[in-house]
Amino acid sequence: MRHNNDLRRTIVEMVYRGRDGHIPSAFSILDIVQVLYERVLRVDPRSPNWPHRDYFILSKGHGCLALYVVLERLGFLSREDLDRFCRSGGILGEHPDCTQVPGVEASTGSLGHGFPFAVGIAYGLRLRQMPNRVIVLVGDGECHEGTIWEAAHVAANLRLGNLCVIVDWNGSAAQLLPQDDLPLKWNAFGWSTRVIDGHSQADIVAALQHVSFQGIGTPSVLLAKTIKGKGVPFLEGHGHWHHRIPDEREYQAIMEALA
Amino acid sequence: MTAPSIREQFAKTMLQLGQADESLVVLVGDISHFLLQPFAKRCPGRYLNVGICEATIASMAAGMAKLGFRPVIHTIAPFLVERAFEQIKLDFGYHRLGGNIVTVGSAFDYANLGCTHHCYGDFALLKTLPGTQIVYPGSPVEFDVLFRQSYRNSCMTYFRVPAHGHGQIFEEQDLTLGRGIRLCAGTNLTLVTTGPQLNNALVARSLLQNDGWDSEVVYLHTIRPLDTELVLNSARKTKRVLVIEEHMRSGGLGDDILRVLSMETGIQIDNLGIPDEFVRGYGSYEDHCRGLGLSAEGIVNRVRRQFGTPRRARSAEKVACL
Repeated sequence: MRHNNDLRRTIVEMVYRGRDGHIPSAFSILDIVQVLYERVLRVDPRSPNWPHRDYFILSKGHGCLALYVVLERLGFLSREDLDRFCRSGGILGEHPDCTQVPGVEASTGSLGHGFPFAVGIAYGLRLRQMPNRVIVLVGDGECHEGTIWEAAHVAANLRLGNLCVIVDWNGSAAQLLPQDDLPLKWNAFGWSTRVIDGHSQADIVAALQHVSFQGIGTPSVLLAKTIKGKGVPFLEGHGHWHHRIPDEREYQAIMEALA
Repeated sequence: MTAPSIREQFAKTMLQLGQADESLVVLVGDISHFLLQPFAKRCPGRYLNVGICEATIASMAAGMAKLGFRPVIHTIAPFLVERAFEQIKLDFGYHRLGGNIVTVGSAFDYANLGCTHHCYGDFALLKTLPGTQIVYPGSPVEFDVLFRQSYRNSCMTYFRVPAHGHGQIFEEQDLTLGRGIRLCAGTNLTLVTTGPQLNNALVARSLLQNDGWDSEVVYLHTIRPLDTELVLNSARKTKRVLVIEEHMRSGGLGDDILRVLSMETGIQIDNLGIPDEFVRGYGSYEDHCRGLGLSAEGIVNRVRRQFGTPRRARSAEKVACL
């Protein structure tokens, strides 16, 4: 999705100016977040707490730069908000904060919280017979957390058909624990499982069209194959760029790669 | 008809409130399942025995609170307060979502189950979370009244339900969240207590009269917000304060009282709680209490050791008690 290089450049600018942030993690999920907000989620930037909105929970909070730039594009945030990323007086930090940021549904950053929080939202919506959809984005590294599997187990037993998890499957988890068959695991936990290309807009939309989002049913998981640092070859992969702030020379090189 | 235990009162209160308030939901970690069946039957969908996954129960409940539900999460104290502490801290506390934690297994109620099922650092932990309310109801009516007063507010409220009540009977109008109760007036010693230890404090008060101590008994069912005015007024009068509690000395009620009185002069303070050590060994709840000095005799001994005896033993005067 070359068309969103402008968003990638904005992310790099924010990190360069704010002197903090996770560029590769944001690049890994940017295509997913953008497609969700532009083509899938029912949200209203003029009314972030609109009762009929769909809920998107970014459980892997350190990817929040992708969420910020998309929220700015939709009008939830201003350019000034982005400019004050990680600055005193700003509302945007290195993890999303729903107590300050319009459009953010959960304050995440400690991994393994957003997903069970979303399970509660999905169950509550069903209890109230509301058709809102709940989509959660978790990291494959985050799937090391026990609460991911607790919540997966609970959601499947509660038959939360209005819930869809997208796993940012960029291989982070396999860096540490290589024996990790994610499709097998999610299947075993009773989820409808599909592997998709997490950088293909068509693939993401098509997969979500297969999710019924009915109140009672099998919850769905999309295992989105992604590339950490996608879009800038020398950022891609699992090296030292995870939390690295580019210097002037590196900044120019990244911006050129995204030109 | 036998009076209900505090835990049974919890189930009754849920049933009564749940029938009138569709926002009340109860999530349990495979405990009190049968006790809560009347609520489950009358309030379909609003009772969930989620399973043995306390961290997820806490996060789920917070997610429901985001939608406007009033969640109650319930299991054995250490599994919620200690294991799921980060979920309580972030998903309820930082989010500023209201909710209720109701636990059993106060301090070492599960005496023979050992350290895994003990929880006597809970006040200390939860006090680090801004806005959290801490209630230690020592009788069924206290649970019922204080829960009704607080469960819909925007705070996270922790109810530490003990297996053993203190045996005193309060009227509804005497109970207000955050307001302590002066059970007995006194002149030269204040016994500040919470939870089941109230009973020992009252017995000790009688025994101490023989030494010339005229003890005021201050009972605090709410640890946070603390009734500082009641404590200050009593301490300024008696000049000697002994705090008695089933909590570790670090971070318990005693530390709060010390802070309240820190700017006062001429007041002696001592804290009879659980030493900052693990409670090891087995036996009954009463055995543990005796071993720790949390008994009427233990209180008397502590007063004698710490404060001696009044210079002039007063004649045992009858003091009006509530």
